[in-house]
Amino acid sequence: MNSIEVKNLTKKFGSFTAVDDVSFNVNKGEIFGFLGANGAGKSTTIRMLIGILQPTSGDALVGGYSIMKEPDKVKTQIGYMSQKFSLYNDLTVEENIRFFAGVYGLTGKKYEERKKWVLKVADLEGKEKLLTTSLPGGIKQRLALGTAVIHEPKIVFLDEPTSGVDPVSRRNFWDLIHELSAGGTTVLVTTHYLDEAEFCNDIILINAGRLIAQGNAKALKTNYIKNTILEIESDSVVDSMEILEKEDWVGETSIFGNYIHIILKDNSKTKTDVIDVLTNKNSIKVHRVDKIVPTLEDVFIHLLEKDKKNVS
Amino acid sequence: MYHRIYAIAKKEFKQLKRDTRMLFIVFFFPVVLLAIFGYAINFDVKHIKIAVYDPDKSEYTREYINGLISSEYFELVTYIDSDAEIKKLLDEKIVQAVIVFPNDLSKKLNNKEEVKVQYLVDGVEGNTANVIVNYVNAATINYSLKLTKEYLAVTGKQFYVPINLEPRFWFNPELESSKFLIPGLMGMILIITAVVSVSLSIVREKERGTIEQINVSPLSSFELIIGKTAPHIVISLINAAIVLLAGYVLFGVAIKGSIFLLLLSTFIFLFAALGLGIFISSVADSQQVAFQAANIAALLPSLILSGFIFPIESMPTVIQWITNITPAKFYVVTLRAILLRGVGLSAFWEQLIYMMIFGTIFIVLATLVDRKAKAA
Amino acid sequence: MKTIYEFIIKELLQLKRDKKMMAVIFIAPVLQLILLGYAANMDVEIIHTTIFDQDKTSASREFIRSFKESGYFSIDYYASSYDEVTELIDKAKTIVTIVIPKDFEKSLNKSETISIQTLFEGSDGNKSSIALGYIQAITNRYSQKIVNNIRDKYGMKLPLTGSLVPEVRVWYNPEMKTRNYMVPGIMGLILMISTLSLMSMAVVREREIGTLEQLIVTPLKSYQLILGKLIPFTIVGFVVMLIVMVIMTQWFGIVIRGSRLFLLLASLLFVLSNLGWGLLISTISKTQSQAMMVSVFAVMMPMVYLSGFAFPIENMPQTVQYITYLIPLRYYITILHGIVLKGTGFSSLWLEALILFGMGVGILTLSALRFSKKIE
Repeated sequence: MNSIEVKNLTKKFGSFTAVDDVSFNVNKGEIFGFLGANGAGKSTTIRMLIGILQPTSGDALVGGYSIMKEPDKVKTQIGYMSQKFSLYNDLTVEENIRFFAGVYGLTGKKYEERKKWVLKVADLEGKEKLLTTSLPGGIKQRLALGTAVIHEPKIVFLDEPTSGVDPVSRRNFWDLIHELSAGGTTVLVTTHYLDEAEFCNDIILINAGRLIAQGNAKALKTNYIKNTILEIESDSVVDSMEILEKEDWVGETSIFGNYIHIILKDNSKTKTDVIDVLTNKNSIKVHRVDKIVPTLEDVFIHLLEKDKKNVS
Repeated sequence: MYHRIYAIAKKEFKQLKRDTRMLFIVFFFPVVLLAIFGYAINFDVKHIKIAVYDPDKSEYTREYINGLISSEYFELVTYIDSDAEIKKLLDEKIVQAVIVFPNDLSKKLNNKEEVKVQYLVDGVEGNTANVIVNYVNAATINYSLKLTKEYLAVTGKQFYVPINLEPRFWFNPELESSKFLIPGLMGMILIITAVVSVSLSIVREKERGTIEQINVSPLSSFELIIGKTAPHIVISLINAAIVLLAGYVLFGVAIKGSIFLLLLSTFIFLFAALGLGIFISSVADSQQVAFQAANIAALLPSLILSGFIFPIESMPTVIQWITNITPAKFYVVTLRAILLRGVGLSAFWEQLIYMMIFGTIFIVLATLVDRKAKAA
Repeated sequence: MKTIYEFIIKELLQLKRDKKMMAVIFIAPVLQLILLGYAANMDVEIIHTTIFDQDKTSASREFIRSFKESGYFSIDYYASSYDEVTELIDKAKTIVTIVIPKDFEKSLNKSETISIQTLFEGSDGNKSSIALGYIQAITNRYSQKIVNNIRDKYGMKLPLTGSLVPEVRVWYNPEMKTRNYMVPGIMGLILMISTLSLMSMAVVREREIGTLEQLIVTPLKSYQLILGKLIPFTIVGFVVMLIVMVIMTQWFGIVIRGSRLFLLLASLLFVLSNLGWGLLISTISKTQSQAMMVSVFAVMMPMVYLSGFAFPIENMPQTVQYITYLIPLRYYITILHGIVLKGTGFSSLWLEALILFGMGVGILTLSALRFSKKIE
């Protein structure tokens, strides 16, 4: 069953096309990941889906309602956590919860129940009277998430919810997202942390407003890169990369800390060829060459490069 | 040090240049406001609406009324038939004065008696009322003198007036209140523009968070303050030149004195005003607060305490001291000296010194506040 | 309903926590009203005078004495040359200089007319003309005395003719004190500035901080958001109004002659219409600094000058008078003057009250419609 159906969604700002004919579906209870560089159009897409930005053309059904025709009804079905921290810093934890509960019309027992839940989720039980501004970043984000779903919406949109958050808090956060999803809530997350993308059931990759890939993490890794990827550890990382880039059987190269990954254009080439170029012809000592399974980042970069080439 | 100040000033300048809406407001409005207000504000009491209750209906009363309305001071709106109508006319400000003649006026005058003519004047606008009372007294005395003159002429005698007053109004021969008000108006427009535009400059960075970046740089508080103020001096000076030019073109406010002194005084004034603004900016932690503070510091004081409308000599002594909190006060004195009286430095050098001290104090305070904020 | 209630609670909590804002909203009006209430004074009490007596006879001394005894004039300088006179006028140290020529006494004894020069520092036309009025009255009396003596000497029966004597009754503000009508006016000004600037920042602030986006994503309707902002500020405005009204009556001792209830109601409507204007500004501004600039230059300054608080609207050119119809303060001042000074009530002022109501509701509705729950 589709929670969200996006059909040919487009947004133009003057002559600039921010979102270009994007279509995809999200199933109920899925954790759906939106990946893309900054400025690729992720936030713009989300803003259209939550009914606060008018699309130029196309439509989407969110929770069964059309964002073009019934944006107000859409808002009753969703929760949203924006990129900017959007709770009131000058209110206490309690006051923030109470306010947003009020906005969503929660009263009485229901309110008490949900309030307790939010406090638990943000690990703030007993700390309701603290001023929001005094909370550490990770806790703030969890509070913001809790508040965003205080009304138990069917669909939740999270825009870069873990940017700037420490790893422990990030893990806690994702536990929460899994919990929501397990309960039947559809969660649409934008992120540029690729390790988080692995937690999603389904991912789409957006570049310059266009959808360039879709699938779950495993599918993306296997379907989009048919080429061999080699991981090379050598003495001079930067020099090695520059030398290998010049070879016509080498595609994209990227540095990963002390190693480099190269995607082969010609799958017949092997470790021997690498050593040949680096050590024999250029006197760079090579310590290790391994064939690896592409990481999402490899896929990402590969697809972006490919897309750039397609456009030009 | 100068490099850093220059860097901050340049950034501030670029940001200002890009905010076209702001620029539009800063350059466009002062002139427009000057144009509208210059025409609107004056105390010249003219065309006062009056009503007359004349049960006598004689040659005397007719002559008298004609005398009153032939001047441009009064405008006869209606004759009333009973004094019951008077209250409504005055209560609803349909007229501002009612003349009530007694019904035996001609009889008494023919009998060479003194006749009391009642003037009911709307005293709400005290100033206007005062002027009306003056006119009315003068008009009545003149009429009585006229009667004497006519009588003497008939009997062939001379009408002797011992003293003839020759009033001369220096600097403002037509007694146009606008000449007096416009320098004050200019001062107020300039100070508000300067204070308001600069008061948000630091606070905005506080709210956006970019101030942290600045605080960790080698930029000292003083350099920050000066750098932030500098572009605004340029803008305010340009603004001032436009406003002064408009004053001349629209209202004939010519610069009777030295242009150089005018520019110098304006520069010192802007220095003081911007100092005040930047101080507000360093103290406030939200733009909301800065706004309210700018209003309190610039808008009302320059309106009421600067001597622009209300003469400072008429204020209680304590308040007169307090008027020194607005640099507009010193500037208004200076402007009037240069624009209206055309006099030299000797008439206003103290004002310039005060403004320089004022500006310096606030810049120093701003620097201290910023230092404290950084250290915290 | 509950949603709006929660909104109101949030706004009030935020306000309570912002100590600087609280001081600025509640304490500042008190200080301002007191300070400015004393400062706003156009009553001409003492006229600083210079005498240049070129005659130095008993007649000239008697003439000078008549000025001293009037109580209006303070003879600060006795000049002995025209240069001295010029210097005093240039430095604005004196308002009027009376020059008594040589042969003053001689001419009077010969029953010849003598001219007295009165030189005014004419910048402040208002003061000058009032001073002139007093001088004319005193001179007239002095002349009359001389003339009567002569006629008496010649055995002419006095009075020669009948005369008119003005009996002036000043209604509503018998002493024509500026303060009585300025203080209510300033009260209106302060109320206008604080409510309008608060509201103009209100919505745009949330937009700039980012919380607005969170709000428009919810099922919260436009009108709920607006009411949620409006009601707390109306409450704040009402409290400020009560505070300044207490100052007006208790500190300045100004008695409210008319219905207090109607005054409170009218003040509420006034606050509402100001909030309406503020909201309009807030919905058309993208940043807080824009909101600030627009409110100060396009709205508040015109309201200050054109509302009739100091400059009579009747004196303004017709086109400008049309603009004044849009200013809530204009109607409020009429109501204030009516209720406080004139003791009139609903029957005379219903139209103004209705206009305030209509303006408030109209602008608020317009703003609410404009405020779409979309961003662009």
